[in-house]
Amino acid sequence: MCVMVCRPSVPVHTTTDRSVATLFAYVTRRVLISVPLLVIAMYLVHVGVSATVDPRSDFYLCLPRCQEGFDSITETYALDTNIFLRPFTYFADLFSGDGLGFSSSVGEPVGEVMRTRGWNTAMVAIPAFLLGAVLSLLLSVYSARRQYSVGDYFFTGLSFIGFAMPSFVLALIIQVIFGVKLEEWFGIKPFNTGRKTGENFWELLRDITLPAVSLAILGIAADSRFGRSSMLETLNQDYIRTARAKGLTERTVVWKHALRNGLIPLVTLWALGFSALLSGSVVTESIFSWPGIGQTFLRALGDSDLDLLMAIVMFTGVLTVIFNLIADVLYGVLDPRIRLG
Amino acid sequence: MNTTRRSHKLLAMTAASALVFAACGSDDDAADTVSTEPTEDSVAEEPAEEPAEEPAEEPAEEPAEEPAEGEGGGTLIWAHEQEPGDLHLDDPENNLSITSWIRSAMIEGLFGISGSTEYYPELLADDGELTTNDDGSVTGTFTMRDGLLWSDGDDLTAEDVVWTYNTIMAADGETEDGDPNYIYLLGDRTGLDTITDISADGNTISITWSAFFAGYKGVLNEVYPMHQFNADPAVAAAELNDGLRGWTTPDGSTIASSGPMIFDSWDKGVQMNLVRNDAYSGSNSPDAKNDGVAFVDGVQINFVTDTDAQINALQAGEAQIVMTQPQLSFEDLASSDDFTVASSAGPVFEHWGLNLNNVHLAKPAVREGLAFAMDKTEVMAGLYTPLFGDSLPADGLGNTMWLSNQSTYENHAGDAGYGAGDIASAQAALEGAGYALNGDGIYEHPEDGALTLRVGTTGGNRLREIQQELIQAQMSDAGIDIVIDNVEGGAYFSEVPFSADAIACATSGGAEGNCDIWDITQFAWVGGPWPGGQIASYRAGGPNNPYGFANDAFEAKADECDATVDDVERAACYNEIDRYVTTLELDAENGLFMLPLTQKPSFYGYTSDLSQAGVAPDAQGSGPLTNVADFQFAD
Repeated sequence: MCVMVCRPSVPVHTTTDRSVATLFAYVTRRVLISVPLLVIAMYLVHVGVSATVDPRSDFYLCLPRCQEGFDSITETYALDTNIFLRPFTYFADLFSGDGLGFSSSVGEPVGEVMRTRGWNTAMVAIPAFLLGAVLSLLLSVYSARRQYSVGDYFFTGLSFIGFAMPSFVLALIIQVIFGVKLEEWFGIKPFNTGRKTGENFWELLRDITLPAVSLAILGIAADSRFGRSSMLETLNQDYIRTARAKGLTERTVVWKHALRNGLIPLVTLWALGFSALLSGSVVTESIFSWPGIGQTFLRALGDSDLDLLMAIVMFTGVLTVIFNLIADVLYGVLDPRIRLG
Repeated sequence: MNTTRRSHKLLAMTAASALVFAACGSDDDAADTVSTEPTEDSVAEEPAEEPAEEPAEEPAEEPAEEPAEGEGGGTLIWAHEQEPGDLHLDDPENNLSITSWIRSAMIEGLFGISGSTEYYPELLADDGELTTNDDGSVTGTFTMRDGLLWSDGDDLTAEDVVWTYNTIMAADGETEDGDPNYIYLLGDRTGLDTITDISADGNTISITWSAFFAGYKGVLNEVYPMHQFNADPAVAAAELNDGLRGWTTPDGSTIASSGPMIFDSWDKGVQMNLVRNDAYSGSNSPDAKNDGVAFVDGVQINFVTDTDAQINALQAGEAQIVMTQPQLSFEDLASSDDFTVASSAGPVFEHWGLNLNNVHLAKPAVREGLAFAMDKTEVMAGLYTPLFGDSLPADGLGNTMWLSNQSTYENHAGDAGYGAGDIASAQAALEGAGYALNGDGIYEHPEDGALTLRVGTTGGNRLREIQQELIQAQMSDAGIDIVIDNVEGGAYFSEVPFSADAIACATSGGAEGNCDIWDITQFAWVGGPWPGGQIASYRAGGPNNPYGFANDAFEAKADECDATVDDVERAACYNEIDRYVTTLELDAENGLFMLPLTQKPSFYGYTSDLSQAGVAPDAQGSGPLTNVADFQFAD
C-alpha cells in the first residue's frame, strides 16, 4: 500500500518490458517457422515409412483366405493410393478430430500410448539427465582446474571409453555386472535387469537405476569433454585474471564468474540431450525392457504401425524444437551480451 | 567447511542405506518371485477378478473327474520378446503366435494339437464319428468330456460349442459381393461356412457339412463361455470383438477359462499375469505328464525385447523360461549345467521355392541339379544338431505336406536322392541339359548363359543367412553360382516373389508381368495336422502361387484328397501329391519346384529352478504354455 508519496500510475516501458517483448517475438517467430518444418518432416517420414514398410506384410502368405483383413488394412491406410498422396489422408484424419489414430501394435489409442509410454520414458530420462548434468559439470570444472593432473587424465580416459563404446554394449555390461554378477559375487541384488512391477518406491528405484545410469554415462562422456574445453577457455580469459587480481577466492572465481560463461556450450548439449532422452532411447529401453517411447518406436516399426510411428516422430520433432528454443533463451540469460534478434 | 563435509557424509550414508535397503528387499522379492509367493505383485496387490478364486472353494457342480490338486506352487516367469497388441487372435491384424500361445493356456477347443503336430480330442471325449449322408453331406457326431467346468464354476457344455459357432457366423446383412457381412472378426471361415447344421443334445454335438471337409478337426478350436455373453449371437459377436482384446466380458469381469490358467492382469509393455484355474479338468494331450490342475500358482510373462537381456534375466533369477530367437543367442548358455534346452521339431519349415519361369529353372534338369547339390545333412549338423540333438531329422526335411514328426511323414526328396550333396549327379543332370563348365568353374548354357541364380529372403535373420551361405558353397562345388540377394525390412515378399508383376508372370505362364524379379525364394511355411490349406499355394492362377506351377492332374488329385473321409487314405493321398511338388516323378516337366530344407526347431530354455517342464513347446497355435500344467518348481 502506498502511504507517503505515490507515483502516478502511468504505463512505463522499462528495459525489462522491451526484453520480454523481444523474447516473445523471438519465440513466436521460431514457433511459426517450426510448424511448417514439422509438417514437411512428417510428410517425408510418412512417405519414407510407407515406402519401406507394408502393414499387410503378414497377410500375403495367407491370401486369399484372409482377403477381408487384407482389404481392411488397405482401406485404413489408403494403401491403394499414390504413396505421395497418402500423408494427406493422415493429416486429414489428424485434423478432422479422429486424433492420432489407433495403434495396431499396442492395441490402444495412439494418444493413450504416447501418454503412458512418454511418462515411462520421463521416469528414466529425468534422473538420467540430472545425474548426467551434475556429474558432467563437476567433471568439467575438476578437469579444467587440474589440467594434465592424474585425475584429469583418468577422467579423460574414462570419457573416451564411454564416448567410443556403443550404447548397447555399455547397457549390457551394466546389466550383467550390476543386475546379474553382483548377486553371484556378493550375494546382494540391489537392481533389476529390467522393468518389473515397480509400483512401490524401492522397487521403482531398483528398476530405474540401471537404465538411468546407462543413459547418464553416455551423456557424461560427451558433455564433460565439451565442458572441460569451454571451462579451460573461460579460465584463461582476461576478466578471470582480473577477478583473481582483485583477490577473490578461487571458489568465487570459478563457480561465480567462470562457470556462467563456461556453461554456454553445455546448455546446447543438455537441451538437445534432454530432448533426445525424453524422445526415448531405442537401445537402452530395449535392453532394460523399459516400456518407453524408444521401445515402442521399435515395436511400431516392426509391426508397420504407421499411426504410432507418425506420432512418435511428431513428438520427437516437437521436443527438439522446444528444447532448441529453450537453449536459445538460456544463452541470453547466461550471457547478457547475446541478444535475441 | 566442517558442516559441508558432514552433510556430504550424511548424503553418502543415506544413498548407501537406500541401496542396502533395496538390496535386502530384493532378496526377499527375488525369492518370492521364483518359488514361494510370486503372485504377490499380481494377485495380492491387484486381486484377480472374482471368478478366479471361486471355483476351487465352491464348485458349481460335482465334477465327474476329481481335478488333481496342484503341487508345488510358485509363479513361472517366462521372459519373451514379443507382446501381443491385444488378445483378439481372430482379428487378422493381430494374428500373432504369442497371442495364440498365451490363449492356449486359457481356452480350449474341440480338438487340440499335440507336440507331434497331430490332433487330439481336447474338450471331446474321443475323435467322434463321421457319417456320409445320401446327399453327399457329412455329419460328425462328437461327445464332450464329462464334468467340464469353466473357471467360474459354470458347466462347460455342448451348448457353448453351438453358441460359439453361431456367434462366429452371425452376420448383419450382405457385402457388396453378396457374401454375408460377418460381425465377429475372423479372417478365414473355411470349414465353418460349409456347416449346414449344428445342434447340441445333452453332451453330444452334431455337425453337418455340405461336403466333407478334411480339416474339420481344426474348426471350433476355441470355445467361448456362453453364460458370460449375450445369448443373441449377433450381439455376442460384437461383445466378443470388444471383450477378447482385454479378455473381459461386457460387465467387466474376466472371461472364464477352460484351460489350466486364468487371465489375471496385464501391465502393457511390462508383463502379463495368469493364475491357476483350480476348476481345470486336466489335459487330454498325449504329451501331458500331469492330468490335473497346474502345479504352479500362475504364470508371469515378462516382455523383454532384447534377447541378451532375456538371458541375463534368466541368469539373474528374474525368469525361468526363455524362448529366444534367434537360436544363436542360446548356444553359449546351453552348455551350462543350470540351463536345459527343451526342443522338438516345430511346425514351421524352411524351403527354397523355384521360379519355373526363369530361363534356367524352367529346365527340370537344372532343378534336379540344385536338389542333388544341396547337402541338408551339412546344414543340420552345422546349425541344429549341436543344440537340438536328434529332435530334428539329420537329413533335413523331404516333404512339404507332412512334417518329420508326424506319423504320416515320408521323405520324398530323400528317396529321390536329393539333399545329400551328390555333386556327381548334379553335374550329370546339368551336362545332360546342355550345360558345360566355363573357365570360372560355373556351368554355362550355350543359349541361356552362365548358371547364376539369385536366392532371396527377408534380410536380418542371421541363422537363415548362415544357411544360405552354406548352401551357396555347396552349389558352388557343383558349378552353380548362387547370389544371395536378400532385402532388408519387411517388404521382401510383397515386393519380390509376391509382387503384382511376379504373380502376373506366374499366372500367365510367363506371358505377362515380369518374370525376372526373382529366381529362388527362401521362406517358411507353417505346416499343421491338416496340410490342405497350403495346397492353395500350388494351384494354378492363385495369388499365392508365385512359382508358376500348373498341373490339372495335381489339382484333381488335391480335390480328391480333400474329399477323402478316411484319415489313413487321406494322408496317403497328400503324400502322393507332394511328389508333384518335391520330385519329378509325377510331373517330369514342371514338378520339383520346392526344395524343403528343414523344420525349424521349437525350443525354449529353462533354469534348474524347475524340476519338470512341459514338452511340445511349439505345436501349431500352442507354444510354451501348451502343457503349462506340467511345469513344476524344484523343492
